Amino acid sequence: MTSDNTMDTAKKDHGVLYIGMDLGTSRTSVSASNGIRETVYSMVGYPKDVVSKKLLKRDVLFGKEALEKRLSLRLYKPLEKGVLKCTGEGLSDEAKLNMKAAQDLIGEAVRLAKPRKDELIYCVIGAPAEASMKNKEAIIEAAREHVDSVMLCSEPFSVAYGLDWLEDVLVVDIGAGTTDLCRMHGTMPEESDQVMFDTAGDAVDAELERLIKQACPGAQVTIHMVKEIKERHGYVGEPAERIMVDLPVDGRPTAFDLTDQIRKACGVLIDPILKGITKLIASEDPEFQTKLKNRVLLAGGGSMVKGLDTAVERAMRERLGSGRVIRIEEPIYGGANGALKLAHDMPADYWEKLK
Amino acid sequence: MALFKDALKQAVRALAFKTSVDKLKKQGIEQVSVLGMDRIVGLIEESVHRSLKSRLVGLDREAVAEATKAEFLRLLRSNEDLRREKSEIEQLKEQAEDEIDQLRRELAKEQRALDLRMQSNSVDDAAELFGAQELLAQRVREVFVLLQQSGEVVPAALEQRVLELVAETVGAERRSGDAARQALRDREVENLQRRIQKLTQSLTVTEDRLRHVAAMKNIEDGIASIYRDVQGLDGSDGQRERKKELMAGIFAANLRLQKGSPS
Repeated sequence: MTSDNTMDTAKKDHGVLYIGMDLGTSRTSVSASNGIRETVYSMVGYPKDVVSKKLLKRDVLFGKEALEKRLSLRLYKPLEKGVLKCTGEGLSDEAKLNMKAAQDLIGEAVRLAKPRKDELIYCVIGAPAEASMKNKEAIIEAAREHVDSVMLCSEPFSVAYGLDWLEDVLVVDIGAGTTDLCRMHGTMPEESDQVMFDTAGDAVDAELERLIKQACPGAQVTIHMVKEIKERHGYVGEPAERIMVDLPVDGRPTAFDLTDQIRKACGVLIDPILKGITKLIASEDPEFQTKLKNRVLLAGGGSMVKGLDTAVERAMRERLGSGRVIRIEEPIYGGANGALKLAHDMPADYWEKLK
Repeated sequence: MALFKDALKQAVRALAFKTSVDKLKKQGIEQVSVLGMDRIVGLIEESVHRSLKSRLVGLDREAVAEATKAEFLRLLRSNEDLRREKSEIEQLKEQAEDEIDQLRRELAKEQRALDLRMQSNSVDDAAELFGAQELLAQRVREVFVLLQQSGEVVPAALEQRVLELVAETVGAERRSGDAARQALRDREVENLQRRIQKLTQSLTVTEDRLRHVAAMKNIEDGIASIYRDVQGLDGSDGQRERKKELMAGIFAANLRLQKGSPS
């Protein structure tokens, strides 16, 4: 921890705050042992000049506020496809700024957990299943500034751990940058138990933006507007009703029917997920394959697409003969809750050794 | 025990909010039931004891009750510490606000003085110059009138020429005097401007300090974790052994990552 950190000077004898953190491309969520659960968009903004700094009255803004005031800010999304954008050889200036943004983002996530300054903070961070060593080191480095001891664990693993489903379960964690699949069989998942691909929330946004531009001539949309439309209306399967969305055309809000475009864009998730599930089930011991097929967990922000569980289940029946898909109750906090549980269960000497 | 009861009373008082009979009436409340502080404290104690009695026996119960009381008093003390810190920060804030007020007043005073100085200079100069020229011309005219009265023949052109010469000589003297006075005024204005600049700087610094103090004040005390110590796996967890292995695996991977050690 840095010497100017206030936590250094405080006498920490009043308790232990565990924090579970899901550091995601789109959102960063925290669950803490004081009952706090918060989420923030993974965006960090710094005032562009002295004038904007004076106007905003702050040195750094986060999440939705940063997005709303982005015209006065240098805006950073420090994560891309689930990993930090600052782990190349010999950090460039841009990479250094992304590293700083990642550190500030983790700091903000810790602050959101409202720790008391006299408490020890032990944090478990969910990282993408196949994050590189350099990337993991970068996350640890970013986190050390703000917590007393930190551990990383695979994101889909933490989801399963949080639900106490430690064997014969296949977790599908659909984030913004990546979709992570992890097969649990009671031991630490190995490389062969995990699959990661980058068809995830951002891919849906890109496809939806393309389809909107194609189907709604003259309509002005940004990727942030597209993301909001997806988060509000995203679905696959049969629509409950037509989805009408107002988009500006020459400055005038105009209603467009986006029912088909939204279904088609969200549908891009299904095929890669099926391929991943098939790969992990086919490589499992044949005696356990049926069990695994019947315990597929959908987690992550992407799992909030309405009807996705039913669509994946139907596709599994068609391609694999059977399947049962369960969407976890709190997709946004599933990873953070699991990481919190891991932090709680970790013995004291492990935490001490990693300080 | 008395200390504990007093502390409990204080805590209940601190958590209670005050209201008036009128306010209650406005909310449609006609009658209230009054419960004395001693009774409330007694009820809390009784409920804690009953709860402990139903779950624990003998020494355990006493130990837990003592530990709970100690924890309660510790929490109260830490709460008081935080309150004290908060009031210190509030004092700092008030001090900074006072300083800012004073600096602003001084700044406004200096600014007014400067404006007055600049304004009066130009008005005075013009008026003074005009008045002096008139007076000189008047005096010269009076001299020539006296000469004419005493029978001297004075050509009209001479009066004009004398007037020009006097005006020229006096003008030159005046210009050099003006230059000296202007230099003095410039120094005064410069001093005033320098003072204003310094006051503005002090104001900015104090405002920054106030913002910092205000930010400190806004820092929440935080919400205490439900745990005092590191927990670890629950002894009654059905998957304890399996989880222990998983924990060891995660720890080993993190140790390798963070310390570069294989075990």
